[in-house]
Amino acid sequence: MKRSWASLEEFQKFLDHGGIVEPVDDMPREYRQTVFDFIEMHANSELMGGLTERDWIPKAPGLRHKMSVIAKTQDEIGHAHLLYMVAADLKIKTREEMMQDLFAGKSKFHNVFHYRAKTWGDQVAIAFLVDAAALVSQQAVFKNCSYGPYKRILKRIIAEEGFHLRFGEESVLRIAEGTEVQRNMFQDSINDWWWPALQLFGPDSKPNDLLLRWHIKSERNEILRDRWIQKFVPLLQGYGFTIPDSGLRRNEEKDRWEIGPIDWKPLKQTMIMGGPDSARRISEASDSWEKTGWVREALEKVSA
Amino acid sequence: MRIYEVFLKADGKEEFRHAGSIEAPTDELALVLARENYTRRAEGTHMWVVDRENICVSEEGFIDANLNKSHRHNDGERVAEWRKSQRNKKSNG
Repeated sequence: MKRSWASLEEFQKFLDHGGIVEPVDDMPREYRQTVFDFIEMHANSELMGGLTERDWIPKAPGLRHKMSVIAKTQDEIGHAHLLYMVAADLKIKTREEMMQDLFAGKSKFHNVFHYRAKTWGDQVAIAFLVDAAALVSQQAVFKNCSYGPYKRILKRIIAEEGFHLRFGEESVLRIAEGTEVQRNMFQDSINDWWWPALQLFGPDSKPNDLLLRWHIKSERNEILRDRWIQKFVPLLQGYGFTIPDSGLRRNEEKDRWEIGPIDWKPLKQTMIMGGPDSARRISEASDSWEKTGWVREALEKVSA
Repeated sequence: MRIYEVFLKADGKEEFRHAGSIEAPTDELALVLARENYTRRAEGTHMWVVDRENICVSEEGFIDANLNKSHRHNDGERVAEWRKSQRNKKSNG
């Protein structure tokens, strides 16, 4: 059933009453574009995340970790696949166009994939802090998302991210129980990744945030960020690590952790592809796309 | 390349459910790619893939016509009322 709305106000009313939009619907152009941009960025981030995960397959310590990293890589690339399908059905860009825009630095991906993972400690910090941050924000989108296909595919993705988070927690535990060298390595990683992970949620939501108004996101950025802070400060401290924030305070009255001021400059840099590792990451992704071109060619030949 | 819709059935009691879509050049490869993308953790025991082109979609309003046929939903109210009146008679008598 194809639905249409007489005006943006009518459409807003439909969304406010919990309406779910399907691809066949005659949705307002602005909504289509906003949903598309959001899903495209999510898809790009899964792909970039999968590629950095892949780099650690040969370097992961021990067979158990190696197998987990292989499974994670397959999951992330798989999520990118599903999300690109959902995005392409919005008929704004084809899958091929989305790839080309990503490699040309014209479309966005999450800030955390603009930094380089230098050690296994970094990879564990990503699996622990970043995957958890991504999961917190995905759950908030899933809860009340007005775009049907995205909501349904998120359910699948969230279930798998749950496995990743458990892998991250187990890896942290193992490092925490490790030698002094291992613990120091992980402390360095926390120092490097704490702020990027925290900034994944973005700055405080603006009052006129379209993603909130159109029920794509269901909670404000600052609420999600705070939920993550309240969980991860005590967790890391419990393992005996410190948080690289001199402004961090415990507010006993409110029974909450309060952080120091956030420097948003690094986030802004990543938004314009000017992060410390943006250029290398993009060119790696593009190389990997070219190197696997023979697979796509073979598939095209089969279909001919 | 063609776009296939993927359907999974979790166990004997469940009906097939739409899982998502996948791009593939042939039916055979669609099955392989759907397996790799949708069932990495035993999400189902049966799978269908259907070329999107082969799905017949109803026109707008085609099934709406059945929304106002309340006579197809007997709510059993008349019988319930009669039974109630019988019970009241008994308890009063």
